[in-house]
Amino acid sequence: MTLKEFYEGIGSDYNAALMRMGNNEKMLDKFVRKFPNDKTCEQLFSSFKDEDYTLAFRMAHTLKGLCSNLGLDKLQQASSELTEALRNQVAANAGELLEIVRAEYDKVISSLEKLDVLA
Amino acid sequence: MEKILIVDDSQMNREILADMLEGYEILEAENGKDAVAMVREHGAEISLILLDMIMPEMDGLEAMEIMGKNGWLTDLPVIMISSEDSPELTHMAYELGVTEFIRRPFDALVVQKRCRNIIALYSKQKKLMDLFADQFYEKEKNSRMMIDILAHIVEFRNNECGMHVINVQNYTEILLRKLVTITDKYQLSESDIGLIANASALHDIGKISIPDEILNKPGRLTDEEFKIMKGHSAAGAQMLSDLPFHSEEPIVKLSYAIARWHHERWDGRGYPDGLKGDDIPIAAQVVSLADVYDALTADRVYKKAFSHETAVEMILKGECGTFNPLLLQCLETSQDEIRAVKEKGSGLSAKGESEIKAFARELLKSDALYSSDRLLHLLEYEKMKNRFFEGITGGCSFEYSVSTRILSFSKNAAAAVGLPETIMDPSSDPRLSSVFGSASIKDLVARLRGASPEEPVVQLYLHQLVTTNCGVVEQSFRISEAPEVMGNYPPNTKRCVYRLICLTTWTLEEPQRYTGVIGKLIPNESAYGIMKGVDIIDLKGVL
Repeated sequence: MTLKEFYEGIGSDYNAALMRMGNNEKMLDKFVRKFPNDKTCEQLFSSFKDEDYTLAFRMAHTLKGLCSNLGLDKLQQASSELTEALRNQVAANAGELLEIVRAEYDKVISSLEKLDVLA
Repeated sequence: MEKILIVDDSQMNREILADMLEGYEILEAENGKDAVAMVREHGAEISLILLDMIMPEMDGLEAMEIMGKNGWLTDLPVIMISSEDSPELTHMAYELGVTEFIRRPFDALVVQKRCRNIIALYSKQKKLMDLFADQFYEKEKNSRMMIDILAHIVEFRNNECGMHVINVQNYTEILLRKLVTITDKYQLSESDIGLIANASALHDIGKISIPDEILNKPGRLTDEEFKIMKGHSAAGAQMLSDLPFHSEEPIVKLSYAIARWHHERWDGRGYPDGLKGDDIPIAAQVVSLADVYDALTADRVYKKAFSHETAVEMILKGECGTFNPLLLQCLETSQDEIRAVKEKGSGLSAKGESEIKAFARELLKSDALYSSDRLLHLLEYEKMKNRFFEGITGGCSFEYSVSTRILSFSKNAAAAVGLPETIMDPSSDPRLSSVFGSASIKDLVARLRGASPEEPVVQLYLHQLVTTNCGVVEQSFRISEAPEVMGNYPPNTKRCVYRLICLTTWTLEEPQRYTGVIGKLIPNESAYGIMKGVDIIDLKGVL
């Protein structure tokens, strides 16, 4: 799977993501590959489980920013909704939104496994 | 290479930004606290901060607040990178001194362009401020010099040693500084104090109109003569008010007030107008007290000098006129400083430093000239740091500037070689050649001349030779390119070798001109080995 196919597969805008990196495909590829190693999502899930909603909010917020930059649009959308659900107070549907984030995250990670080495 | 500080709690975000900012040196911090520590450490080296808003420990806005309070943001731009777009947070961020925003998701080109533009803008402004400060100093120095020259002409005619004007200036400044700490009645700013001290130089200008026989009469003046003598204050004021130019300038107005009323008394029994209390302008009141103190503590044709203690006691007891009680309090509480100036005199360098400090303080208070204060703050800090390290390591350093023709030694160095900390025109100063020998100095100058902007460092060795002959100790210096023994020495000579490392400094613009040299003297470790048996401790004490 090429980088372009990866983006299309997770319902995200490849060209927009590429442009943000100054049309540098190498750079986009490098950071997308690093994404599974980033601990933000992991900390989001664990803090939510521990009911530490302050930390969960911050992690959701960081995830949202990161995904927006990497152009992981669906995950960004999900984490953005979760961020708002955790801002100030914990909304009733926060748990559901977290599950959407989890589902989108898993989709990204499993797609990444199929990504070809950049030529 | 310009340094950019990236502050973001997400490591990946920092990495992406760092990749986008190729060509800059990147510093990273993962929260507000670390960012503050970084700025404290790197100071003016940092050209720009990219700051995230939401972070653990300390968020972006809190960090802004701390940096702002410390005065670090005046010439350090901050770009806030945030996906938060609520107007409240944006307003707050701008109010705290954020220069610009970059919204998430950030775009490589936008990040690059904006960083480059803002850095360029700020460095241009910094350059202009530096230029302004230089010119300001130059002008200030020249006008002060002219006033001093004029005032000295008056004094020489008066057969005084020429220190009176400078003493009165210094005492005036000390008293006014104290005064503003005990009352805000007179609303004096730091620059007012400087102006009054400057204007005080002309307090006796009216003495030009007093005939020689009266001015320099050794005995007691007759009533008639005394009346003429008393005319000097009104005469001086008249001269100043008759000036065909500058009559509206604050310094001329202050000089007028000081010349006319520096012999008024608090109780209203002075001359020429019999003004009472605070009807006498504060500038004249202060100069009057400074004048009386200096007159008491100096030799005059008609009397010997009193000691500081006696003079202060006489003034406080009211034996030499009546003064504003607040000023008497100032005199009493700033005695140590006044005595120090009286005993040592305040040399050019000390005065320069106090002026710079005062100017720096003023700038720190003012909003208009905000750009220089961090610079001065850092300058002060650098100086302090140098002194501190020098105090510990015992290093000897020196500095020479072509434009001012001033050679300055660090405190240690000056004390060790028995020279003053600053020497004007070193090439023609006999004290320098008497310590180092004119041949050594010529040699050093020639080698420094051989340096270039491409190769600015000159490394030499200074050989200190101490010869003892029949109990008479003679000391000389030689400069060479190698630490080894050179030439023949007379018997009974002990030698100690120092590495002399000089960095010549050059202008940035083409063609590069030589602007001066900074240097350091360090005992040469390897020379210790060669010179086994030599009493190093003894020699070390000399330098």
